[in-house]
Amino acid sequence: MATIGKTYRREISAAAALVALLVIVAVAAPSFFAPGNLRDLIINNLPTLLIAIGMTLVILVGQIDISVGSQFAVCSVAAGVLAKTGLPMPLVFVAVMLIGGLMGALNGTLIGWMKLPSIIVTLAMLVMWRDALRWTTEGAWVQGLPENFQWFGLGQNTGEILIFAISLLLFVVFGWSLRNLIVGRTVYAVGSDAEAARLAGINSSNVVFWVFVVMGALVGVSALLNAIRFSAIPGNSGVGLELKAIAAVVVGGVAITGGRGTLIGTVIGVALLGTIGTALTFLGINPFWEKAIQGGIILAALASDVALGRLEKNGRSDLAATTSPA
Amino acid sequence: MDEAISQPQQVPLRTEQDWSARLFPNNEWILLIVIAVECLLFAFSGNNFATTGNAFEVTRLSVEIGLLALIMTPIIITGGIDLSVGSMMGLSAVVMGGLWRDAGLSMPVAIAITLVVGLLGGALNAAMITKLKAPPLIVTLGTFSLFRGIAEGLTRGIENYSGFSPSYLFFGQGYVGGVVPTQLFFFVPAILLFWWWLHRTTFGRSYYAIGFSQEGSRYAGIKVRRRLNFMYCMSGLLSSLAAVIYVAHLGQAKSDAGTGYELTAIAAVVLGGASIFGGRGTILGTILGLLAIVILQNGLRISGQPTELAGILTGVLLVTTILIDRLSRIGVSRITVSEEEFEVKNWQVGVLSGVILVAAFIVAASNWMLVRSIKEQGGSAPAAQSQNAATSTGKKNVIAMMPKAKGDPYFISCRKGAEEAAKELGAELLWDGPTDLDPAKQNEIVQAWITRGVDAIAVSVENKEGISTVLRKAREKGIKVITWDADSEKDARDFLINQATPQGIGETLTDEAARIMGSKGEFAIVTASLSAANQNEWIKFIKHRLAEKYPDMKLVAIQPSDGDRDKAFAETQNILKVYPNVKLVMGIAAPAVPGVAEAVKQSGRTDVKVTGLSLPNMCKPYVKEGIIDSFVLWNTGDLGYLTVYAANALSNGSFKPGETKIKAGRLNEIEVVGDEVRLGKPFIFNKGNIDNFDF
Repeated sequence: MATIGKTYRREISAAAALVALLVIVAVAAPSFFAPGNLRDLIINNLPTLLIAIGMTLVILVGQIDISVGSQFAVCSVAAGVLAKTGLPMPLVFVAVMLIGGLMGALNGTLIGWMKLPSIIVTLAMLVMWRDALRWTTEGAWVQGLPENFQWFGLGQNTGEILIFAISLLLFVVFGWSLRNLIVGRTVYAVGSDAEAARLAGINSSNVVFWVFVVMGALVGVSALLNAIRFSAIPGNSGVGLELKAIAAVVVGGVAITGGRGTLIGTVIGVALLGTIGTALTFLGINPFWEKAIQGGIILAALASDVALGRLEKNGRSDLAATTSPA
Repeated sequence: MDEAISQPQQVPLRTEQDWSARLFPNNEWILLIVIAVECLLFAFSGNNFATTGNAFEVTRLSVEIGLLALIMTPIIITGGIDLSVGSMMGLSAVVMGGLWRDAGLSMPVAIAITLVVGLLGGALNAAMITKLKAPPLIVTLGTFSLFRGIAEGLTRGIENYSGFSPSYLFFGQGYVGGVVPTQLFFFVPAILLFWWWLHRTTFGRSYYAIGFSQEGSRYAGIKVRRRLNFMYCMSGLLSSLAAVIYVAHLGQAKSDAGTGYELTAIAAVVLGGASIFGGRGTILGTILGLLAIVILQNGLRISGQPTELAGILTGVLLVTTILIDRLSRIGVSRITVSEEEFEVKNWQVGVLSGVILVAAFIVAASNWMLVRSIKEQGGSAPAAQSQNAATSTGKKNVIAMMPKAKGDPYFISCRKGAEEAAKELGAELLWDGPTDLDPAKQNEIVQAWITRGVDAIAVSVENKEGISTVLRKAREKGIKVITWDADSEKDARDFLINQATPQGIGETLTDEAARIMGSKGEFAIVTASLSAANQNEWIKFIKHRLAEKYPDMKLVAIQPSDGDRDKAFAETQNILKVYPNVKLVMGIAAPAVPGVAEAVKQSGRTDVKVTGLSLPNMCKPYVKEGIIDSFVLWNTGDLGYLTVYAANALSNGSFKPGETKIKAGRLNEIEVVGDEVRLGKPFIFNKGNIDNFDF
């Protein structure tokens, strides 16, 4: 029991914050827990969750990707354009994943192979993809999509179940592989110490490259699953998505320096940040303060993380505490 | 980490470095070439690019971001980062505005307190980073949201402080001796001071040591924590100072000041050769990087190229410079290992050819686009000329037209009409604007047009006070100025193309809502962003109308959509659950209405209706399904069409103040009242008439 508490203490503190928020809402606005609301809340946050899963991998290997919002917009528009050419929806799904994967591969090549700093490469991509998209679409929406686009043509209920099922499947696969497969453990190894991983026979560059490819593919899936909920596609979606995903991952206890964190934490982070906006509306609080509260939660998560870390260290030995990490 | 190893190896090899290595330790000469190429290109392709006036304007526009970039240099040298600088500008702007207007303090006192607030914000970052040892990226990501959030909360997003005294505005808008922009007298000393601090004092040099190794610096007797604390506090202070200049520059203080500035500042520093891993970077490099970015934006505007190119090219430039830098460093660090040298070279050649291939592809693609656009222009010009052989006197009028935001579907539909009119008249239409709502960018673009020299400027104004100064300047230069869609101050323009007054829109919206709801019950509004000026104006008149005519109708919620369809969707879902008695949801931003309608549709609530202000094509499916009962708008294409006709007639001299009518092609005669050209009343779209419209 004690070891579980120690291993997952960051996840537990984030979960505690989530529970606290839910308790407050339960007391003040019980209608929040109506099944209809919970369903909407989950479906609305699934696209962010998929991005956050990819972001968890990226941050675990000690990198960062701030270009996902722009990639999301490109993938959304691509999905619409492809669907309008009459391509069957499963093929559209695969094609959009590929497009996302290719954009990820470009990031991966520059960061994994060329060893360029990820924040700068993805900053450049953030600007480039967004502006390239604006240049080609001039902001126009993709309209007149075929009948079978919205909900894959299956109707709202089945469509929502399908979106949920695909997301759940991806979450389970990634969560399980990260814990139990060699591939998953190498992600932690590279993030903890790339040089040690290399000496242990792991090709760090390869791992970083593929993590970015996976990130891109997940952006593609996320963009498509988001797009099929509607009957038209805006030309300029996903602005600020990268910060939302990074914030959720960090609040969920994944260390920004890499090598530490779990997908369970990420889910809790997405749930916490995704609930706040809705909860504020239910509590009747002005939406003006939403951003400030989100910022406050990120800082609080950081502070509690550090405080917990200190407690643990002091408990262990005084010697360890003096060699603080830079 | 490679840098940390390579640098100490280099130093003992050569005690006396040659001049180029001392002047440009990080290959900053590449940037000099880039800047030179940019200047050459734009000097040929743009009008009046290479003039003293333009040179000074470019520097004026780079002051705010420049100040942020200056302090970002030592931060990045230590291996840190500060994402909160742009948000701090927003917070400082509203704090200063509030202190001055609401608390009634004098301007110098307000500025002083604002700077203290900036210092405190910086101190918060510093404390989190040095006391808690949290990573700067995440700390400042948190304060990035926090500062902007507080700014929005304090002003409820709506407050817009303006009407500052001329002596204060002089700091941001004036010229000393008639040519030199005032803020340069802050900026140039700031550059020199930073250069001296970072490169000529032990104090400043210590930041390089910290960037190489924090632990090592500590053992070498550098007070690492104190140094970092000082630096992050300075960052807050300088952001505040940048905000003070920004407000003086624009004449307004709003919570959205400085949005996105952090990224440009970081890009400038990294472009200037600073390593994000720490230990490397110079003030000279930062300034060159900044100039490379700003000159590119300015030049593209002056030569009438799409501004999206600026983003794409900046991105390419950023990746290429760090790539070249990376490769040159690999060469240096492995020079001692002769065995590996050959292998490295092979690899380098491979990569270089890859890069060249990609670059060639990009150049080819952009050339193709360029040729295509020229062809289109060439194809259309003869036809247009033949049509207007009688009226045109051989000189082609250049009409520059600006939307509030280029990516907004509303303005895209205006553009179609504008292009149609330009084609008919044989005039050259320059269509450019900020990609997202950004008052500072609007000023910048008008300035570029003045420099370039155009016949008429037509602006949809985002910020009344801010833009009026530049528009007046344009009029002084003999350029005809028209405002359309939203007005500036009256003396800053010749005519307003008035599609509908805010009062007219507010009242029509309320009347439509009343008709649908039977004049009683609850309803909610989904607006654009909370700080959107237009929407706030409409809401004011909606509330006014409710109080006046419909006492039984109750507005229960106003939720923001940030102009994002998906957010409007989620907010509407919340509204429907929290306020189950709502009978109508009104979306008052074009992308919001389809989001609202989709949410109502998916909820299955047939008793809730949707109305608002949007575009026919976006709403068509929902109108046909009966979810959107009706919505309000004018013919946007006609608005663009009329604007170009008026601008053209004005610059030809065929349309003068005092006339009561204007001839506008297929629209025939349009009524002119005083200095307003009136397009007509807002139009109500419904099931019966929507098929007649396609925009």
